[in-house]
Amino acid sequence: MKPKVAFFDFSSCEGCQLAILNCEDILLDILNLVDLVEFRMALTETAPRYDVAFVEGSIHRDEDIERILDIRARSTYLVALGACACIGNVQARSNFVAPAVNYGEIYGEEARNRVQVDPDYWDLWSHTRVRPIDAIVKVDAYLRGCPIVPREFLHLVKSLLQGTQPFFPPNAVCVDCKMNENECVLERGLTCMGPVTWGGCDSICINSGYVCDGCRGTLPHANVEAHIELMREHNIDDRDIRSRYRLFMGAEPIGRGV
Amino acid sequence: MSYYLATKKELIDWIQRLAAENQLYFPEKHGEASYRFNRVGPKSEIQFDRYIPTVVPPVKLLVPAREELLRFRTDAEGKTEVQPSLDTSFRVIAGVRSCDLKGISLMDLFFKDGVPDAYYLARRENTAIIGYSCNTPCDESAFCAAVDSLDHTEGADVYVTPVKEGDLLVEVKTSLGEKLTAGVDWKKCEDPEARRIGAVTARPEPFGRSFPAPLPDTMKIVADKYQSAVWEKHVKRCFSCGTCNLVCPTCYCFDVVDDLNLDAASGNRSRSWDGCMLPHFAEVSGGHNFRAEPAARQRHRVNRKFTYLPEKYEHGAVCVGCGRCGRQCTSHIDIFDIVTDLIQEGSR
Ligand code: SF4
Ligand code: SF4
Ligand code: SF4
Ligand code: SF4
Ligand code: SF4
Repeated sequence: MKPKVAFFDFSSCEGCQLAILNCEDILLDILNLVDLVEFRMALTETAPRYDVAFVEGSIHRDEDIERILDIRARSTYLVALGACACIGNVQARSNFVAPAVNYGEIYGEEARNRVQVDPDYWDLWSHTRVRPIDAIVKVDAYLRGCPIVPREFLHLVKSLLQGTQPFFPPNAVCVDCKMNENECVLERGLTCMGPVTWGGCDSICINSGYVCDGCRGTLPHANVEAHIELMREHNIDDRDIRSRYRLFMGAEPIGRGV
Repeated sequence: MSYYLATKKELIDWIQRLAAENQLYFPEKHGEASYRFNRVGPKSEIQFDRYIPTVVPPVKLLVPAREELLRFRTDAEGKTEVQPSLDTSFRVIAGVRSCDLKGISLMDLFFKDGVPDAYYLARRENTAIIGYSCNTPCDESAFCAAVDSLDHTEGADVYVTPVKEGDLLVEVKTSLGEKLTAGVDWKKCEDPEARRIGAVTARPEPFGRSFPAPLPDTMKIVADKYQSAVWEKHVKRCFSCGTCNLVCPTCYCFDVVDDLNLDAASGNRSRSWDGCMLPHFAEVSGGHNFRAEPAARQRHRVNRKFTYLPEKYEHGAVCVGCGRCGRQCTSHIDIFDIVTDLIQEGSR
């Protein structure tokens, strides 16, 4: 029997699902081998069980928690799809700003007060509770990045279909970067999240002249202390260092702690 | 063996001619402060005056960062056909400095050892190398003289030494070198040895950095210092990012993976660079990691260069002193400093 595969999304831009649709050349072959039971909101979430559930997006509201618990309960293998699901992504930056401050700035004094005192508006506080899905449920595999890397998606799908263990080496972005023979951006006086960030992205940002912002999340062995020291040596002040860590990693322990 | 005296212009013209007819690679300026062995085209700049060791060594042309090794396909009867992906295209690598020449000689040794590596050898046997001698240290990271690689010429088909303002001593060392220089109209050199010695003695002394102990003693000290606080000292700053491995001309480790296509009948096998500073490098099935701590990995890396491989191959240091690892370490950890610290730590 073909494995039942489903896709779900929470707070995200759906760019990772789009990245999958862009794997055109092999997508049809995959679809022949699996039974796609749910994709985005196009189908209702009624299948009793899923063999593999791909979950995109970060968790904010209480309803999200209920829904992800339900998906988990019905899934044998659950994949966090993309940076929002894996690490919370940029939206986790809002965790650091009280909603009243945000609403005050955008909609003025009245909105600022209402969001504080009117229970009908308290739902909006969920914007300060951005979490990756593994804050709520167990995740079996992570497809990192903003957006995901199609090659890694294919590797995961093939491994699952072939009954082998998918493997994503816990190597820094620096590994990809050196394989591409880039000059390290430190040589240009810039700083980079590469040394503490999960690689596998082919260092695309550095290849195209930018630095790594850490969209794939921190490595389990990340030497954050040394990295902060390195940034300081490059005359980056602590506020900016904090900001770099909170760009993508605000919901990770590292981003929260810095 | 032929010896010539050529002018800089003559040499550059010759390299450009070779590049027009062959796949030729030369270290070109790359980024703000780096060099990279690039395929030379009509617009490339060929110059010998400015150089620091390239981001990754020229060995990348013999063992690429990622390469397909073979393709396989199993037919309906269950017969499997395997097609190796050997690269036998001819190429020339020019402007290879002595540190990298020695690196390539060492790689020859490693890849011929045991089961000879067909992929490496296919490329190596179809590669011509034009070496170039340094008369001043490339930068403050280099310590090629301290590990005896500054005068390494073996492995080059043609070796060029700047001998006197404007003059270049060109030693044609192999029959392939003779083929490449066929038809050149350079002045014959009658006294190559005297010229070479003249160039060597005119070099600054010390040349680049030197260890506070002679090389044989240095190697013995590294071997004896298995227990040392130095192993903990530098890794405090280490990211385990593997840069030091990946840029090293004598690091040869790679990882092999099979990729099965969706038809579950065909696929390919490929390899890519790996390195002992990477956290999962020494992890085995079941999850045990023989070198889980960065200090253990650092000690292993340094010993590979100064103890283990030298012992295995009865060779001097396997570090060629190119300085790449220290220069490019994102955290300024330098193997030269580690070894110096071991020497200065005093005997235990
Ligand atoms: S540019 Fe960034 S990712 Fe690349 S080597 Fe430097 S620190 Fe690492
Ligand atoms: S280089 Fe950094 S920011 Fe860019 S894709 Fe890779 S991990 Fe993300
Ligand atoms: S390059 Fe530096 S930081 Fe990276 S693994 Fe090597 S010693 Fe550690
Ligand atoms: S250990 Fe460092 S200095 Fe020595 S050969 Fe390797 S990269 Fe060069
Ligand atoms: S390390 Fe030595 S041989 Fe290598 S480029 Fe520098 S000076 Fe030349």
